[in-house]
Amino acid sequence: MSGGADRESSVRRDRADRMTGTAVVVEARKTFGSRVVLTTTAALVAGIAILAGALTAAGRGGNERVLDRLGPLAERTGWDLLLGVVAQITAPAALLGFGVVLSWMFGREFADRTVGALFALPVRRTALAAAKILVFLGWGAAVATALAALLLAAGLMIGLGSPDQGVLAALARQHLLALLSALLATPAAWVATLGRGPLPGIGATLGLIVAAQVVVVAGAGGWFPVAAPALWAIEPASVTPVQLALVTTVPLICAPATLLSWRRLQLDR
Amino acid sequence: MVERRIVANGLSRAFSPAAGVRGIDLAVARGEIHALVGLNGAGKTTLMRLVLGMLRPDSGTCAIDGHDVRTAPTAVWARVGHLVDHALVYGDLDTRTNLVLAARLHGVPRARVGAAVRDIVDELDLGRYLGVRARALSQGNRQRAGLAAALLHRPTTIVLDEPTNGLDPAGVVALRSTLLRRAAGGAGILVSSHHLDEVARVADRITVVNHGRIVGGLDPDGTDLERAFFTLVHQDDQQAGGAA
Repeated sequence: MSGGADRESSVRRDRADRMTGTAVVVEARKTFGSRVVLTTTAALVAGIAILAGALTAAGRGGNERVLDRLGPLAERTGWDLLLGVVAQITAPAALLGFGVVLSWMFGREFADRTVGALFALPVRRTALAAAKILVFLGWGAAVATALAALLLAAGLMIGLGSPDQGVLAALARQHLLALLSALLATPAAWVATLGRGPLPGIGATLGLIVAAQVVVVAGAGGWFPVAAPALWAIEPASVTPVQLALVTTVPLICAPATLLSWRRLQLDR
Repeated sequence: MVERRIVANGLSRAFSPAAGVRGIDLAVARGEIHALVGLNGAGKTTLMRLVLGMLRPDSGTCAIDGHDVRTAPTAVWARVGHLVDHALVYGDLDTRTNLVLAARLHGVPRARVGAAVRDIVDELDLGRYLGVRARALSQGNRQRAGLAAALLHRPTTIVLDEPTNGLDPAGVVALRSTLLRRAAGGAGILVSSHHLDEVARVADRITVVNHGRIVGGLDPDGTDLERAFFTLVHQDDQQAGGAA
């Protein structure tokens, strides 16, 4: 009797695993078959690298306006200047880019009205929502890696010379900054679900970016998870490990909340 | 063997005093095509959403193949096909990719996906559009693709809301043949339509919905369905007016 129950439970588990795998495959095809994602990827990676490379080259050339805008970073030189500029640009740009894509991944189902077709399937809606987040994080990791590689190439192209250990460590921080920015974008998934479209998610992302700017100006950036990674990437000593670890609270709250919202979803509006 | 694919008992869901459905009892038997007819806003789509678990009822229950839709296992949902509101079709993807993804989401084993897609493409004559992005399809062909996505896994419970929307006459005929064949094979089909003539051609049973309630049935073999339909609706409107 118990053996039969165990077998049944095992069959159910196998089926559930298969369905979760199916959800990831389907969401990956949907995501990477979309021009929105391809365009955002190109804009994000190439945009940050080109902008940072151009600003650094202009700063090295003594452009007063650019040096003025760079503030304290203007005193830096070479790779140090490039990576300082990049950290400043990446924090808002990556969060915005990641937030837009995640908002679109969740919100499009409502905007395109395909959400109704995701009910009454053997693949649960929570599996689909989890698959969206997993695919997003995988894409985010690829973008972060591509960005770090492109920055290295940009630095070499504008003649900054071979990177030393310190530069490689800064590049690694830059890579982690982009990865953490992907985690910090997870509220977009939840808000796009609650608001039933991409725009609420994008609005929430912009709200986070503005809030981070305000908190940094107020001097409490280290304790604000959205601001801490950028401050750490620019000046590692300015942020404690505890403050940096607080970044994980954002996805740890928002990802389960998103899954719960998809589980409880109804077509009632 | 399950004799009734869908059983709804006392289903109610209110959006406002004037909108929603109240106390709906409904059954769709194995091999039966059961049509819902009613004016716009009568509650047909709401009822179908309740049947598929897209809405939670304020009261009442619904079961598919004997399983309450709130707790039905995945094996039950793998035997359900539906097109309510919008199809499982993404504009960025071509028809072939959309159908492959629909097959996977409906639980078709990977090894059988290709055959399932080929069969439904032949059945609904979609071969010319396999490489076309869904966004570029005409409304009718997009509807065909949506019907293909809903039916390619050979579901035994089928729920379709206004399935002939946008279809050309050839598409209507193809859909009619498909539904009749699926019903003959044992599927239970719940379908809504505004087209009484079309309903009469396929339905075994016709139920009239008005103001969120079932107000009667029509004989599919009757001579003047339109007159019979409006008689039922007007009687109900008058009773509702009198009660108010």
